[in-house]
Amino acid sequence: MKKNDYIEILLSILAALFIGGIVIFIMGFNPLAAYGELFKGAFQGNFGFGSTLAKFTPLLLTALAFHISTTVSVFNVGVEGSLYLGAMAAAWVGFGLTGVPAVIHVPLCLIAGAAAGGLWALIPAALKVYYNVNEICTTILLNYVAIDITSYMVNFPLSSKSGSPQTPSISDSASLTEFMLPSKANTGLFIAIALFVVLYWMLYHTTMGYRLRSTGANPAFSEYVGINPKREMMAGMFISGALGGIAGAIEVMGVYGCFLDNFSNGIANNGMLVALISRGDIRIIPVMAFFLAILQSGALGMQRYTSLDDSIISAIIALFILFATMQGLFKLKTTFGGPKKHTGLKTGSEK
Amino acid sequence: MIRNSTSILFAMLACSITQQANILNVGVEGIMLVAAFAAVATSFFTGSWVLAIFAAIIAGVLIALIIAVANIKYKADIFAVGMTVNMLALALTKFANHNILHASGSFTSQDIKPIPDVKVAALSGNAVVDSLFNQYNLMEFIGIILIFVTGYFMYKTVFGLRTRSIGMNQMAALTAGINVVKQKYVVMVISGVLGGLGGAYLSLGYTHMFTENMTNGRGFMGVAAMFFGNMNPVLGWVGCLLFGLLDSVGSQLQAYGIPSQLILMQPYIITVLILSAVLIVRKRKKTKLQSTNAGEA
Repeated sequence: MKKNDYIEILLSILAALFIGGIVIFIMGFNPLAAYGELFKGAFQGNFGFGSTLAKFTPLLLTALAFHISTTVSVFNVGVEGSLYLGAMAAAWVGFGLTGVPAVIHVPLCLIAGAAAGGLWALIPAALKVYYNVNEICTTILLNYVAIDITSYMVNFPLSSKSGSPQTPSISDSASLTEFMLPSKANTGLFIAIALFVVLYWMLYHTTMGYRLRSTGANPAFSEYVGINPKREMMAGMFISGALGGIAGAIEVMGVYGCFLDNFSNGIANNGMLVALISRGDIRIIPVMAFFLAILQSGALGMQRYTSLDDSIISAIIALFILFATMQGLFKLKTTFGGPKKHTGLKTGSEK
Repeated sequence: MIRNSTSILFAMLACSITQQANILNVGVEGIMLVAAFAAVATSFFTGSWVLAIFAAIIAGVLIALIIAVANIKYKADIFAVGMTVNMLALALTKFANHNILHASGSFTSQDIKPIPDVKVAALSGNAVVDSLFNQYNLMEFIGIILIFVTGYFMYKTVFGLRTRSIGMNQMAALTAGINVVKQKYVVMVISGVLGGLGGAYLSLGYTHMFTENMTNGRGFMGVAAMFFGNMNPVLGWVGCLLFGLLDSVGSQLQAYGIPSQLILMQPYIITVLILSAVLIVRKRKKTKLQSTNAGEA
């Protein structure tokens, strides 16, 4: 990422905040005071800052999941599906197993989540790699399937029979420790940060990372130097899905304590947008994820002190991302391997 | 079934036409949502459903133009822009719902003039015929007509040929002297019109109110139906009907103890299977061809 890119992102943030400020002003409030409340809401007290951290964790993980798939030039829109299935798997292991010490139980749940998410991502990956089926299309469709599968499981075989669509609560040995009560912040945060560090190290300091990056940059060249690009793409997608699954598992083990039907509400979509505005630079992802988390949790604070509702903040976030992607002209295209890759079925290259 | 499929139908048409020009318009969800709001607000304030449809179309075109400018002029990734516009549409309509209509959640009122149903007096004598053919909304007819109109435009006119040539090979189209940029803008505007009609149907035909996030994934189902029909409006319609059918069958089978989720996921699985089957067969043919060629050589 070049210096210009940082400046461009900063400018898009300012432009979005400025337009939002005008709207706030027209509504009859002082924009600066409103933004002040926003940042106070995101940082003040255990609840404020804790909520920001709790929102940051899944954003970071799903953004990393999307990033790793684009590294091997696959466009994994299916992180949301992996997140649901990972959450379900973690919940199942969480309440199904009892009498296991936490040292074993917590990793088991995380592994179950990662495996479920990763295996799920292998379906579109295999179709893409071996039969050239457009992965954007299949992942969008499979998201609905994943949500329906978990919705079925939570309503029928794994229902807590309590009237509301949720699984039984996971046992204490499986839950992540919460801190900064009464917020939902939990030790999943450190898992996410550790995974970020590991992933960065893996991508840039190991041969495996080199193989993945080289596959994304130029599959033909990679094949020539003895890398199997098909296998690397599958590996990249598995890691991507696994990260999504872990994000879901952490939501269950740290935030909700059980699997709730339809709990995510587009977490992975936001994560995907974080990855997109980070322009293929993994180091920017935590910064952007944190920024988005501040806006999201601060919106509640702003709502409490002014009568402005949080939709204005969602609009500002959307505007900011829109500006950021618009200036992402060149970089985005090269990251995803040219415009042909992620569009129609019948492009010229397939004829 | 028809009712369920019509809102998806407009979305399908809106993204089929752009997909022909190689634009994956996932923003159709946002286009429809904003249009649905514009339709309800206009209908509420003016009391005219005709004006409401026009307002919806204008709103749809505006959103489509945002996507078009960001993608074509500023080279933003189409998928990212589409998803962002969906987010923006959700936030804006929620904001406007609170501050213009002073409603939270959903807005409904006696003053909303819905789009009328089509009643043919000659058919209303017989109760069975009446219930079968005489309860459809005007927009449902318009939707079905539009399938064939867009199909005709795409496959039988110069305009359609140019659009499809951009989708097949943009460089070749450019070399052949087609104004690719202009053509893409035109296609996006048409997509906005179609999405706008879909939004108007959703809020003034299918229901008579505006609800936050009322599109609820219908735009994406339209994208799925477009993939199902491989950009062909008529085949895409089959996909829409399949989605609509399984949706209504699903809610009825639930009464017999079959979980609706298991039925609701079928259209998506079927679409993935069909897509894969088409490409697997195509690949088989290709390798066969290559092996025979190699044999001859």
